Amino acid sequence: MSSPAPILEVRDLKTHFPVRGGIWLRSVATCKAVDGVSFQLLPGETLGLVGESGCGKSTLGKSIVRLLAPTAGSIRFEGVDLATLGRKKLKPIRRHLQMIFQDPAESLNARHTVGQILEEPFIIHGIGSAEERRASIDTLLDKVGLPRAAAHRYPFEFSGGQRQRIGIARALALQPRLIICDEPVSALDVSIQSQVLNLLLDLQREFHLSYLFITHNLAVVKHVSDRIAVMYLGRIVELSDAEDLYARPRHPYTRALIAAIPEPEPRATRPRFIGTGDLPSPINPPPGCPFHPRCPHATDLCRREPPPLRETSSAAEPSHAVACHYDLLPAAIPSPLGAPQKQESRDT
Amino acid sequence: MRLSPQAQLQLRRFRSLKRGYGSFLILVFLSVLALLAELLVSNRALLVRYQGHFFLPTYGAIHPGRDFGSDYAYEVDYRELKDRFAAEHAGNWVLMPLVPYGPNENCYAGQNFQPRPPDAAHGHYLGTDQINRDILARLLYGFRNSLLFSAGFVVMVYAIGIAIGCAMGYFGGWFDLGMQRIVEIWSLLPFLLVVIIVRAALPAGTSFGLGLLLFVVVAFAWTGMTYFMRSATYREKSRDYVAAAQVLGAGPVRVLFHHILPNILSILVTFLPFTTAAAIGSLTALDYLGFGLPPPMPSWGELLREGTGNLDAPWIVASAFCALSFILILITFIGEAIREAFDPKKFTLYR
Ligand SMILES: Nc1ncnc2c1ncn2[C@@H]1O[C@H](COP(=O)(O)OP(=O)(O)O)[C@@H](O)[C@H]1O
Ligand code: SF4
Ligand SMILES: [Mg+2]
Repeated sequence: MSSPAPILEVRDLKTHFPVRGGIWLRSVATCKAVDGVSFQLLPGETLGLVGESGCGKSTLGKSIVRLLAPTAGSIRFEGVDLATLGRKKLKPIRRHLQMIFQDPAESLNARHTVGQILEEPFIIHGIGSAEERRASIDTLLDKVGLPRAAAHRYPFEFSGGQRQRIGIARALALQPRLIICDEPVSALDVSIQSQVLNLLLDLQREFHLSYLFITHNLAVVKHVSDRIAVMYLGRIVELSDAEDLYARPRHPYTRALIAAIPEPEPRATRPRFIGTGDLPSPINPPPGCPFHPRCPHATDLCRREPPPLRETSSAAEPSHAVACHYDLLPAAIPSPLGAPQKQESRDT
Repeated sequence: MRLSPQAQLQLRRFRSLKRGYGSFLILVFLSVLALLAELLVSNRALLVRYQGHFFLPTYGAIHPGRDFGSDYAYEVDYRELKDRFAAEHAGNWVLMPLVPYGPNENCYAGQNFQPRPPDAAHGHYLGTDQINRDILARLLYGFRNSLLFSAGFVVMVYAIGIAIGCAMGYFGGWFDLGMQRIVEIWSLLPFLLVVIIVRAALPAGTSFGLGLLLFVVVAFAWTGMTYFMRSATYREKSRDYVAAAQVLGAGPVRVLFHHILPNILSILVTFLPFTTAAAIGSLTALDYLGFGLPPPMPSWGELLREGTGNLDAPWIVASAFCALSFILILITFIGEAIREAFDPKKFTLYR
């Protein structure tokens, strides 16, 4: 199967933070927020990135847009490795690589008008005359469904959903090809989340955008993603086609996440083994499989050896990779999807 | 310049706080009076008419006595001139300021040095000090020195504190670490001792004027501002609106001056009255101890010292004490009101 060249190819990316102490702030430990992540993203594709809060999703996103300097690994964006580029060389590339933040109240400067906020990208890159910039702002506001008069008002005059539209318009200003969406609807009311998600999907179709869609909410990511990566303690533990992930989750962690999705008609008994133990700290990640302290199937091998991300489906099927030493039968795992899935299972 | 809606709101709230806003208006009024002191309290005439010509001696050159028909070459005594012109009935006249005495002038030349009680008939509304100088004149010119000193103090402390604190918070790393240690050590130096040493080390004849004094005091006062600026910059830098600007390609200059500083500035304004009060306080204290402005520069600290040394002439200490307390109370009221108007917990419009 020949696929188009990926727009983004992340290989073995690590972003570690030194944990400092003492008066000379010596590094006393390392927080391995992102610890060896690899994936590809195709043009026009949406890759969902899910995981509990604190597993390193934002750190991964911020490393890709180089708000953070990665410790190791490569980030090939349209063939150029961003991991080691300096600020000056990054600047022209930033036009094509943008980010949408979780909380628009935080990501919009409260002292600037919407017009100033949307004009900033053009000013930074020296694009257009003042008049052309004003016209571009009008177009952007049209695109995200805000009235043009919004340009003269301040962010606080808008509702949460409208503010996120302003954030989206800013990210669109320079006609990017890839947008990192870091929990773009998590701060919004449930009632308007779908409007903003639909806007993102419309814009994707119109401009052929690629999204890395970060969220802790599996229910949201199902809607918008072509493929989904599940992240745990700085690593990707499962990466597959979106449909396949929900239909045949292979990693115990993924199954637990899916089991935890609130359902329209709650069943009386929802198994929730994920309740055993909190998210371990990325400062001292457990040896072996990072999930073993919470995994009901952990063996000595799991406690010793970290499992690599390996392909589990045959060549004819869409890729489905999982980082687990075992091919676990769904039956072995309490999952609300367990029963109907049993006969389809190929895992042995 | 267009004020942001927060700034407008803060301004409105400040105006609605009667006590603080009233104090602010009074302080502005008094400051204007002090800046125009020569027109109100001075031994130079406002206007002289002599042989058909008009003279405005207030801000002009010194007129020797000969210019107006006296027989001496030093500066005219305008009060005497006024009396003489009045006696001559020759169409010449002199218009003196409200209080016709200068701050450094011995108003009773040739008479005993002794404090004289308030005497409205002679225009000494607050009396004179022990060397016959008018106290109201010394208060007003002393206030002006305090104001100039505070203005210089605030500008310099803010400039240094913002520059260094911002750089520490923004760039972090070794620069931050090194500066933090330097600031800590620097703030441990005993201020008064250094002032005494600097004064002693000055070559004889060098005057320890407003500028040098300001420099020494600021050298010890800037550190407090860096602590605040450092943490405020650090906090703002980690917020997403800065990240958003950086993702768009904004460099450090743009991020600092376009995003971070404007967001901190409103908090800095709330410090302004307290910084001013600190400046007036330290100048007065230094003058009181005799390490401040050189004599005969009028100053409140010097007046306080003279007053406490001459308690049998209570009008000296009473004038200085009341003036100082009044100004500090005004500034405190203003500071309270600004703080209330700017309270971040109240002015954060969403969250
Ligand atoms: N700038 C930083 N310095 C130190 N540790 C950080 C920093 N940013 C994130 N971390 C740590 O990295 C881990 C992952 O954080 P984050 O990427 O924000 O998680 P998520 O977005 O998945 O909730 C957390 O343990 C967090 O404490
Ligand atoms: S490798 Fe072991 S501990 Fe890790 S998920 Fe698989 S079974 Fe559980
Ligand atoms: Mg996050």
